[in-house]
Amino acid sequence: MSDWRLAWTIGRRELDWRFRGLRLLFFSLLLGVAALAAVGSLAAAMERGLDDRGSVILGGDVEFARSARAATAEELALFEGAGRVAESVAMTSTAVTGERSIPVQLKAVDGGYPLYGALKLADGRTVGAPAAGTAWIDSALARRVPLGSNFRLGTKSFRAAGVIAEEPDRLGEGFSLGPVVMVGMTDLPATGLMQPGSLFEIRYRIATGANVEALEEEIVKAFPAGGWESKTRDNAAPGAGRFFSRMAEFLTLIVLTALVIAGIGIANAVASFLRARQSTIATLKVLGADSAMVRRIYAIQIALVAGLATLFGLGIGALAVPIVSRAAANVLPIALETRLAWAPLLLAAGFGLLTAAAASALPLTRAATVPAAGLLRGSVEGRRVSLARGLPWLLVPAALILALALGTASRPLLTAFYLGAVAGVLALLAGLGWLVRWGSAKVPRPKGPFLRLALAGLHRPGAGTIGLVVALGIGLTMFVQIAAVRSSFDANLQQNIPERAPAFFALDVPRDRAEEFRGIVIAASPRAEVQLVPLLRGTITGYGATNVADLAEIPDGAWALRGERGMTYAEDLPSGSSLVAGKWWPKDYAGPPLVSVDERLAEALKLRLGDELRFSIYGSERKATIASFRRIDWDTLGFNFVLVLSPNALADVPHNLSATIGLPKGADAAVRDGIAARFPSTSLVPVRDVLEQVGEVAAGVSVAIAWAASAAILAGIAVLAGTTSAMREARTYDGVVLRVLGATRRQLLWLQALEFLLLAALVTLVALALGLAGAWLIVTMLFDFVWSPDPWLVAATLGVGLVTVLLVGLAGSLSSLSARPSRALRTL
Amino acid sequence: MTDMMIHARNVTLTLGSGEAATEILRGIDLDLAKGERLAILGASGSGKSSLMAVLSGLERANGGTVTIVGQDFTTLDEDRLAEARRGRIGIVLQAFHLLPTMTALENVAVPMELAGHDDPFGAAKAELEAVGLGHRLDHYPAQLSGGEQQRVAIARALGPRPGLIFADEPTGNLDATTGAAVMDLLFERCDATGSTLVVITHEPVLAKRCNRVIELADGLMIADRVS
Repeated sequence: MSDWRLAWTIGRRELDWRFRGLRLLFFSLLLGVAALAAVGSLAAAMERGLDDRGSVILGGDVEFARSARAATAEELALFEGAGRVAESVAMTSTAVTGERSIPVQLKAVDGGYPLYGALKLADGRTVGAPAAGTAWIDSALARRVPLGSNFRLGTKSFRAAGVIAEEPDRLGEGFSLGPVVMVGMTDLPATGLMQPGSLFEIRYRIATGANVEALEEEIVKAFPAGGWESKTRDNAAPGAGRFFSRMAEFLTLIVLTALVIAGIGIANAVASFLRARQSTIATLKVLGADSAMVRRIYAIQIALVAGLATLFGLGIGALAVPIVSRAAANVLPIALETRLAWAPLLLAAGFGLLTAAAASALPLTRAATVPAAGLLRGSVEGRRVSLARGLPWLLVPAALILALALGTASRPLLTAFYLGAVAGVLALLAGLGWLVRWGSAKVPRPKGPFLRLALAGLHRPGAGTIGLVVALGIGLTMFVQIAAVRSSFDANLQQNIPERAPAFFALDVPRDRAEEFRGIVIAASPRAEVQLVPLLRGTITGYGATNVADLAEIPDGAWALRGERGMTYAEDLPSGSSLVAGKWWPKDYAGPPLVSVDERLAEALKLRLGDELRFSIYGSERKATIASFRRIDWDTLGFNFVLVLSPNALADVPHNLSATIGLPKGADAAVRDGIAARFPSTSLVPVRDVLEQVGEVAAGVSVAIAWAASAAILAGIAVLAGTTSAMREARTYDGVVLRVLGATRRQLLWLQALEFLLLAALVTLVALALGLAGAWLIVTMLFDFVWSPDPWLVAATLGVGLVTVLLVGLAGSLSSLSARPSRALRTL
Repeated sequence: MTDMMIHARNVTLTLGSGEAATEILRGIDLDLAKGERLAILGASGSGKSSLMAVLSGLERANGGTVTIVGQDFTTLDEDRLAEARRGRIGIVLQAFHLLPTMTALENVAVPMELAGHDDPFGAAKAELEAVGLGHRLDHYPAQLSGGEQQRVAIARALGPRPGLIFADEPTGNLDATTGAAVMDLLFERCDATGSTLVVITHEPVLAKRCNRVIELADGLMIADRVS
C-alpha cells in the first residue's frame, strides 16, 4: 500500500466526522471563502449585467454625443448609413407648476426611442416617445405633479400623461440632477430652452450590426474637430462600470483581510487540534509511523475539512447573487445576471485552500517532528522544535496566495500596498501581544489572587496572549474604522458641507441678463451671495506633443481627459483657487490665448508652464498656452474649473452663465419663484438635492464597506473564540483547583473577565489608532471627503466592540466554569 | 453534635442516567467525631474517592443527608458548597493540583485569600516553613519535586486551619520513601493544628496509622473498625 493510501486509510478511520476539534477551522474557512465568493460573484454578476445589457443600457450599439450642436447633414448621413438612428437631447431644466418650480432632468426623444429594451409606464403600457404636448414623468416627480395635470418647461406647457416605471437606458444616462421628464423632440424648440450657449447634450444612438469600434474610428477620422464623445455597448455606462469595478476591488481587499485573519484562526485551530491528538500521534509513532506519515494522516484530515468548508463557503457565496438580486432589486441600478460565474468561485476556492494549507504548515510540522517519547511525557509546550522543515509548506502556499492576489488585481501596486499594510498591522499587533506577554511576567505581582492569576494567565506557558491581542486588535480596529468612516460620511453629507455650500446652482443664465438675474436674487433676499461665471463645455484633445485620442489609457488622476468638461474664462484668479506656479494674466489681456490648469491634472499629465493645450469647444478646435497652475479647494462646492482661460480665448463662443447662490435660511422659496417667473429657461438646482444623490451613493458605499468589514470582524471573533477555546484546558484546571479551594463561579467569571479587560485595555488604544488611520485613508484618500469622524460615535462603537469581544471571550470560557470539580479532578 | 465533623445518612450517588446509570454509592452511613483519624479503604472503583467528593462538597449526593461541621451539604448549590469549604475543609489530592502559574507561597495563600484571612501571605509563609519548605517560597510547581509539591499541597490544605482535612491517595504519585515522609508530615500537621483527618487509600499500612478504618466495595460500606 502506498504511503498516501495508508495515510488516507488511517486518517479517514481516525477522523471524527463531527469535526470535533476542527470546527473552528471549518467555520473560519467557510466565512472567508463565503465572503470572497460573495463579493466576487456579485461583482461578476454586476459586470455581466452591464455587458449583457450593454445595448439596452446605452440605448443603442453606439452613441455619439456632444454639447449644444446637432449633427451636420454629413454627420447624420454617416450615422444613418450605419443603422437605425434615435436622436435625443438631455439637459437640466425646471418644471414649473403653479407657484412651484422643481428641478428636473429633461430628456427629449424622437420616434426611434427606445432602440433597445422597452419604456414601461406604471399603468403597464409599453410606450415610445410621448405625443405632442404631453410628457412621461418620473415617479418622484409624480408625487408633486399629479398625473393629468399641466406643468411648464421653459415657455411650453406639458400634460403629465404617464408615470415612468422602467426606463431602459437609465443607467447609461449617468448622474442626473432631478427626476426625469421625457418629452417628444418635436416639442423641444417651443420650450425655448435650446438657445445658443445653453447647456444641453445631443445624442445619436445607433442600432447597427456593424463593428462599432470601426464606426467610432471612422467618425473621429471624418470629423476630427466634431467634438463627438462616443460610447459603445461594451462600455455603456463607463462611470458605473468603473465605480463597480473599483468598489469590487476594494471590497475584495477587505474580504482578503478577513481571510488572512481567518488564517490565524485556522492556524490556532489546527495547533490545538493536533495538541489534543498528542497521545494518538505518540501511539502511531510508537507503532512505527514516521514524521512524514503523521504529517500525511493529519494533512488529509485537515484537507477533508478544509475542502468541505470551501464547498459550503462557495455555495453560500454563490447564493449571495440571487439573494441580493431579490432583496435589493429596488436599490440596484441594473438587474443582476444570476447565472453562476465560475471564475470568482474558483478564485475564492483557491484563496481558501491555499490559506488553509499555509496556516496548517507549522502546526503540522510541530506535531510531526516531536519525538514519540516527548509526546508520551505530556505537553510539548515550551519544547523547542525546529520548524525549518515546515517553512516550504508555509512559504509556497503563501507565495501562491500573493501571486493570485496580485495576478487578479486590476491595480497590483495598490493591492500589494494594501496587503503589505495588513501584514504590517498584524505584525504590529503580534508584537504588542509579545510585549504584553513579556511585560505581564515582569510587573510586580499583585496581592489579590484573581488579579495575580489574570496576569499570570497572560504569560503562562501555552497562553494565547499573542493570538488574543491580534484577534481583539483586529476586531476593535474594524469597529473603530466602520464608526469613523460612517460618521465621517454622514458629517460630510449632512453637516459640514451644507453649512459652507450655496443653496442653489443656477444653469443657463443668459449672458446679457446677468445683472437682471443678480437683481432678482438680491431683491428677494438682500443678504444673498451671487457668483456668476461663464460656463462652456469642451473636450481636451491634446497637450504638448500628445493627442488624447492616441492614449491607450487615461493616466491616473487625469479624469478631466474623459469626455466633456466645464470650462470658463476669468479676468481674475477665481475665489477658491490659489496660484502655485506661473503668473495670472493682466486685466484686458489681448495676447495669444492663455490657460491656467489645475495642479493635480498638471501633475498627472506632467505638464509644464508654456506647454500648449488643445481643446475642442462646440466643434471648433482651439489652443492655449499654459500660463499658470492653480490649487483648487474642491470642498467649497462652488463652480471649480480644471481649466480657466484668458477671456480672449473664449469670449467669441456663444455661451450662458452659471451661478451659485448663497442664501440665508428661509429665503429659498422667494428666490426660486422670482427666478422661475423671469428666467424660464434657467434651471435652478437645489444643492441639497445634489448632496442627497451623492449621499445615497456614499451611504450605499458605506453599507457595502460595513458588510465586508463585518466579515473581518466575524473572522476576528472566530480567532478570539478559537484562542479562548485553546486555552480552555488551562482555565478549567485553574478553575477546578480554585473551586476546590473555595472560589465561587462568579469569582471565576470575574477572573476571566479581568484577564480580557486587562488585554482589552491595552489593545484599545492601539486599535483606536489603527482604526482611525485606516478610516482616514478610506475617507480622505479613497473618497476625497473631509475627515470628520464623530468622536462619541467612535467611542460608543468601541465600547460596543469591547463588550462584544468580552462576551465572546467569556462565552468561550463558560464550559470551563461548568466542569464539576470532582469529575474534572480525575481527568486533569 | 457540636463535636461531630461528619454526619452522613443513607448517602447515595448515581452517575449517568437511563441504561448508562451507575450506582457509585449505595446508602452509606457515617459519623466522624472531631480529632478522629479515618482511613477509607477499598479497591479501585469501590467508591472511596466519590465518598470523599460527597463529604467534601465537591459532589452532591443524589440521596440521603450529609452534614459537615454542622452544615447540611445536601441543600447547598455548587457555589454555596465552595463557600462552605472555605476555611473549614482542606483537601490534598493525589496529583497535587497546584496552580502552575503561582509560586509555592502564592499557592498556599490562595485559600486564605478566598476566606478573607487577615494576613494570608504571613500565614502561608509560616505554614510552608512548618512543612520544611521555607527555602522554596518563590519556586513554581514545575521547579519542585513531587514530594515538595505534595508538601506545598499539604501546607495549602492546612494553612486556613480547617477543622476537617481530606487526603485522596496523597502518596499515590510518590515513591515509598517520599510517600512515607509526606504522610508523617500530614499526620504531624493535623496533630499540631487539631484537624480531623480523612485519608483515602488502598494501602493497609497507611490505614493502620488511623484510629478508624472503613472499607468500601461496590459503593457499600462493608467494614467499620475502630482501634
